[in-house]
Amino acid sequence: MHTALKLAKAISFSKGLRVGTLDGFERLIAGIYGRPDRVPVILQPYIYAMSLHGLSPQRFFREPAPFVHASYNTARYFGADSWTPVFDFYDIEAEALGQEFNWDVQMEPGVNKHNFLIKDRRDLLRLKPPVPGESGRMPYVLESYRLYKQIMNLAPMCYACAPFTLAVLVRGLQEFLVDMMEDPAFAHDLLEFLSMEVIVPWIRAMIRATGCAMVVMSDAQASPPIASPSMLREFCLPYVAKINRATSTPQCTVCDTGTWGEGMVNDLREVLDIKMAMMRGGNTMHSTRPYYLLVWQEDYDKVGIPAVRAYAEEQGVCLMLNTSPLLVGSGPAGAIADKVRALIREGAGKGRFALLINMVPPGTPVEHVHTAVAAARQFGRYPLARDIERMKFEMPAVEPFEQWVKKNGLPV
Amino acid sequence: MARNEKLFGAIIAGKKDAAVEAVSEAVGAKQDLEALLEESMIPAMKEIGDRFSRNEAFVPEMLVAARAMQAGLALIEPELAARGHKPLGKVCIGTVKGDLHDIGKNLVAIMLKGAGYEVMDLGVDCDAESYHKAVKEGAQAVLLSSLLTTTMTYMKTVMERLAEFPNVKVIIGGAPVTKEYADSIGAHGYAADAGGAVGAVSACLGRA
Repeated sequence: MHTALKLAKAISFSKGLRVGTLDGFERLIAGIYGRPDRVPVILQPYIYAMSLHGLSPQRFFREPAPFVHASYNTARYFGADSWTPVFDFYDIEAEALGQEFNWDVQMEPGVNKHNFLIKDRRDLLRLKPPVPGESGRMPYVLESYRLYKQIMNLAPMCYACAPFTLAVLVRGLQEFLVDMMEDPAFAHDLLEFLSMEVIVPWIRAMIRATGCAMVVMSDAQASPPIASPSMLREFCLPYVAKINRATSTPQCTVCDTGTWGEGMVNDLREVLDIKMAMMRGGNTMHSTRPYYLLVWQEDYDKVGIPAVRAYAEEQGVCLMLNTSPLLVGSGPAGAIADKVRALIREGAGKGRFALLINMVPPGTPVEHVHTAVAAARQFGRYPLARDIERMKFEMPAVEPFEQWVKKNGLPV
Repeated sequence: MARNEKLFGAIIAGKKDAAVEAVSEAVGAKQDLEALLEESMIPAMKEIGDRFSRNEAFVPEMLVAARAMQAGLALIEPELAARGHKPLGKVCIGTVKGDLHDIGKNLVAIMLKGAGYEVMDLGVDCDAESYHKAVKEGAQAVLLSSLLTTTMTYMKTVMERLAEFPNVKVIIGGAPVTKEYADSIGAHGYAADAGGAVGAVSACLGRA
């Protein structure tokens, strides 16, 4: 079915016009706009997929076919409703600009912190923008998206690095933070260059190549306590809005997310407002956009789910909570099921809720991930059971991963 | 000696030039340098650390405060050393193997230096051997940092490697690290943030 028809079906379902059953993608869309049949589960296969398939970082993060196939196998094996091929999406623009990375690693590549690209203003003046889609690993990203689209018959959600975080990657965290304090004009010049000469052309190239409906910039560094709320208003929001204005279309939403830090401030609302401005800034047609409020476990454990739930409801957006990677990694299964039950009980309300399973540590027993997914399916059925606390969790039988891949998987 | 308000304020505000000027004036006036350090400079870093712990200051403010502190300290360190001034203790710090994140580790190192400790910064991606070597070189406390759930489990490996040094204290911290996890691997201390790390080290070394 064409994506537009699937969107229409999902949104209708979420508003109560329940025709037919939902597939995973439709469930996620229905969960973003309203109430689906059950809580949608998004899985980030990422380095867990790499480890399950015994792939090296050099292959996983450089070769589209093994990367996408391993991600597909992992997401499908666990029965996730939605997944996207998640690579080291912070690094692509920086690498395309010429920033050195360490590849001698067991997990994902990392910036060479002994040799940042921008050591002073002269380096910025010398810097040439990447060729969108051609520099660095941009071809790997576009080919991975093409493969995803071919396999899933669905345009992927695309990723970009947000300007604040990209500035940190090419300038160095401490250096950039001091720039903001002591040489703000330089910090602004760097952000302007990265936004308009690097990120905007790259986002346009991804939209052209994939026909995607959403590009998500990620911005983990734009978070308290790394920066104060006032710094984020000065050095983050204006550039996000500029990028969104330059790239967002009625068919494609561009936004900034991935930030954290609600638990690191005294004024929760101030930070949540900044988060929503990262989503909305520069976009138009707000009522139709798939906005969401993503709150990470470290933060909701501190501020409480009811507070962020109430804020999401007030803003009319979907609340997205992740499962604790540490808990999923360490278990035991009963504790994982109980945690998922609690997240759903406190967060899922009448809809507009999604559960994210992210950063599953390599080596995690597959039963732990199956437990998280199964618990979401069992406890997350709408309308939520009144006796959800008393419901007994039932773990379905689990087929060994290798056996499943042999029968149903794609070659890696 | 009363607190040098100009120096104290300059460090808190992260004004490096003003801090250097205030220290130069104090040196010129032949003020007691140990008292200057202990009653004005270290309290300034403690104050900014406390503000950080109360969510009233953020990392950039701590960074510029530390730079101001270090610039001022550079002027008096040779004289202090010549007079036999000793640090509170010797500690080592590093981000554990497989983890390249260093901002939290750097902040803790800054705060510890600011509090008067000698700090051996082992960098990132540190294996158990590097901590072991630092202890052999005199570190009384070992601080382990991790930002990833995938790497924090290595802290247990380090604990095991250091088991032969029963008097050395191990303090752990980092975004995914919890007090419960610290207890579960037998760490002697846990710090929820950079400001809290100084208190944890001081408590473990009996300097509180």
